[in-house]
Amino acid sequence: MKLLTHNMLTSHVKGVTKGYPLLIKATEVKVNEVDFNPKFVCRMIPKLEWSALVQAADQLGHREDLPGELVPDYEKNEDFLKKVHRVLLEVEVIEGCLQCPESGREFPISRGIPNMLVNEDEA
Amino acid sequence: MPEVRSEDSVVRYYCTAGNGMEPFLVDEVKRKLAAQDVDHIPGKVLFSSSETIHRVCDLKAAERLFLLLKQDSPVRLSTHTSPGTTKAASVLQSRLLGDRTQMTWEKTLLWEAWRMVRMHRFVRSQLQSDDFWVMRNKPYLLFFSPVSFRINCKCSGKLHRCISAQEVSRVMGMGLSRLLGWKADLKNPKLEINVYLNDDYCLLGIPLTRLLLPLANRSYLKTPGLRSTVAWAMASLALIEAACFLGVDIDDGQLQKADENVLFAELQSRVHLLKASSTALPLPSASVDAVVCDLPFGRKFSTRINMAENLPVILSEMERVLRVGGTLVVLLSPQLSCLLKKLLLQTNCGPKRNEEAESQTGMKSCLVSSSEQHNLQVTSSSSQEASTFSSLRHQATLRVSLGVIDGLIHKYIKTLD
Repeated sequence: MKLLTHNMLTSHVKGVTKGYPLLIKATEVKVNEVDFNPKFVCRMIPKLEWSALVQAADQLGHREDLPGELVPDYEKNEDFLKKVHRVLLEVEVIEGCLQCPESGREFPISRGIPNMLVNEDEA
Repeated sequence: MPEVRSEDSVVRYYCTAGNGMEPFLVDEVKRKLAAQDVDHIPGKVLFSSSETIHRVCDLKAAERLFLLLKQDSPVRLSTHTSPGTTKAASVLQSRLLGDRTQMTWEKTLLWEAWRMVRMHRFVRSQLQSDDFWVMRNKPYLLFFSPVSFRINCKCSGKLHRCISAQEVSRVMGMGLSRLLGWKADLKNPKLEINVYLNDDYCLLGIPLTRLLLPLANRSYLKTPGLRSTVAWAMASLALIEAACFLGVDIDDGQLQKADENVLFAELQSRVHLLKASSTALPLPSASVDAVVCDLPFGRKFSTRINMAENLPVILSEMERVLRVGGTLVVLLSPQLSCLLKKLLLQTNCGPKRNEEAESQTGMKSCLVSSSEQHNLQVTSSSSQEASTFSSLRHQATLRVSLGVIDGLIHKYIKTLD
């Protein structure tokens, strides 16, 4: 699971009103080199929940020097775009789980794929 | 080897297309190849293009690609003409081959065959491997070496009642041998000539994808799932361009194959996988730009739960996660398509429903699913069913062949009301 995916996921456990962002408990994290595409990163940035991304990177110990706030004029700031690129697309949780911040329900991550299935009584 | 482009390099082609795919192919050749003289007949699209063969072979809506030799009005034999007679042979030869002076496609054929061989990195010629040496070292010999060929004829309609496909092949074969000095070879010909004859047209072509796999085979797919041309058509209907994809499936086996395909195509940064149920999507409302879904028909991929029962819930979830203005493209069996129509008619009479004001992330992404539903036996109240889908505005419904059966592609756009 890349942090780009994590940024999209929310808990859909029954009765939960604040199921975002999910907490990450990783037991295996990989960092893969991915080709840098500044246009793609620029297109993704306005669609991100920035604080959730920073928090997720922090939880994994891979935030490094990613700013807490969105940088103005980031389109021209290649250094900043590369930092975002690394966190979004290169850091990957292979094993672990996601946790609903409200209910504590855990969703396992196996071989990089989160399992977001809930039981009938939960959804 | 750099490609040679000459002034008069406009080539006339035709492609075969699955039923229902012709409009997609017409659009594609116009958009990608700046094609001219585009014409479509059932199962085939004819066009002219000056693009390189590599670009032509990159078509996604086509099954097979042919070099067009001749397109003409139907061949007609009077009902009194008996098959096997010299009169029938004469009519066929004059209509299909013409005489030596009229024949313009001989030069075209040989010239294009030569060009194809030079492009053999992209398109494999049907010539034998020993001929490659001749091509590279003594290319002038091409025009003087005897060409072996065979005719592959398909014949239907009125003509079929007068003469068989085998007879047409035999007559044409004899004609080509006499006119050009070519040698018939049914087992291992250098050139194959396809002939289609029916009540609407007569068509002659050379298949360009014979040794290579059909265009519909994708080099980047390790394990094919949904028919590739239909999958492409669905994505093109969703107007997906550069995007980030979230692939959702409930089945571990399907996810494993998807994972292998993503790795094989080196698309890990663009396609992300998720195990989830389409009846309970773990995404915020109005967070997705497009949803593309191939719901199981219950034929090739089995499912333990009733798809008809879950269709309202599945559609409700898709509608919920779509942003306003977003596109839903869904492939359904004919049975589920009928059910969908009923649900939407029901909806139009039901009360209106308020959309959530804002999304949490508003991620530009595409939700791609080919899910199988195993876990949930969800029952919805009838009032909830009646009030949902009010924001989905129908755009198009297209029937396409999936081989043995047909499927219907439905396109919707999410609106405010």
